[in-house]
Amino acid sequence: MLQAHSFLWHYLWLAPNVLLLALALLIWRKGLHKAFPAFFAFAVFSSLGQFALYIADVAPSITAENFWRVDWASLLIEGPLKFALVAEIFARVFGSYDSLVRLGRLLIRGVGIALVLAAALAAAYAPKDSLFGIVSGAHLLEQTIGFIASGLLLFIFVFSAYFRLRPARPVLGIALGLAISSCTHLAVWAVAANAGLPAERRVILDFVGMASSHIAVLIWFYYLLVPREVATKPVVPLPENNLDVWNRELERLVHQ
Amino acid sequence: MTLAIILVIVAALALIFILGITVSRSLQVSEGASLAGKIQPIDVAAFRNLINPAEDDYLRRRLPASEFRVVRRQRLRAMAAYVQTAGRNAAVLVLMGQSALPAANPQTSEAARQLVDNALLLRRNAAFALVRIYIALAWPNSGLAATPILHGYERLNGSAMLLGRLQNPAVPVRIAATL
Repeated sequence: MLQAHSFLWHYLWLAPNVLLLALALLIWRKGLHKAFPAFFAFAVFSSLGQFALYIADVAPSITAENFWRVDWASLLIEGPLKFALVAEIFARVFGSYDSLVRLGRLLIRGVGIALVLAAALAAAYAPKDSLFGIVSGAHLLEQTIGFIASGLLLFIFVFSAYFRLRPARPVLGIALGLAISSCTHLAVWAVAANAGLPAERRVILDFVGMASSHIAVLIWFYYLLVPREVATKPVVPLPENNLDVWNRELERLVHQ
Repeated sequence: MTLAIILVIVAALALIFILGITVSRSLQVSEGASLAGKIQPIDVAAFRNLINPAEDDYLRRRLPASEFRVVRRQRLRAMAAYVQTAGRNAAVLVLMGQSALPAANPQTSEAARQLVDNALLLRRNAAFALVRIYIALAWPNSGLAATPILHGYERLNGSAMLLGRLQNPAVPVRIAATL
């Protein structure tokens, strides 16, 4: 069952990307692409990139070297789009709160720099394959993208949880799906790039990575297209408050 | 291989954290109107006593240096407890404000947005204040420990009383115990 070019393998490679392209079409028809332009672009280009890669894999006329060239091209498009999507999630979670947006930007830049340095260090310590540099390079690039994206998403989740912020349902869904996919891909590509597994065992990694992509796409479908239950209870009444005075005092304390 | 194991563990931990946060967040949604009851009153009299610089000077003059440091640390820990309470109250207000954001009335919705923004600012400032208090805990004799924080708290005292007037129209929300 878990073999390259088995039915499950073809299904797990194609189905998430067919669904992702269909999701892109649906959100475009609903007008959601204006609210989530980075997600829309990610859905379109990521799925098209995977289709190109699939064709390169199954077409007998395409050499192994050319397959990896297509993989590199796909990664070079998908990587920046993934980071643009993370930026979109960040803006959607914190952008409407003036009190947090500056601090959040400052912190996420710091976290981003630390993650880039840590990812570069991890890539530097990875075993080098001089014969198939194009292959190990692609694995390392996947590992690096997964590492940085997972770290940034973890920061967004922890930071918003500390401030008890509840992002809108579509934003939460996009972030959750991307986090599941990124963390799983980080683990998969870390093993592929560093563990020196034989080819027959590497297939299992393909299955795990593709399955996580499938789960992510299903999560995006659910959070973006399934309507939320309408709350029947009235909203919580607002208490009177003087938080602005409190804040002035605490700011004085902090800036002394 | 070691690097692969480390990265797999890092990825697994990150995913567990993210899933945990998502689950706990979905549980928070169902709390609804019981949130107001979670606001903890602040004992303003005790707080006022704690931040009084004259008391601190008195203790410094009367006690041997080693004993003063012990007492000073105890007082700073108590201050931290007050700021933590203020921060927790702010977190509850963030949740309450977010629950009111979808209100049909634009005035209520705008008031909710302002409440959330102010409560976020308070939570952020409380976090910064805590950092300063913990630094002061490490050096209880330093100027940082003695003057700025206590002066800040003195000013904060009046604000604590104002915050104590936070009220839910149906159920009074008291943050200060003695008003």
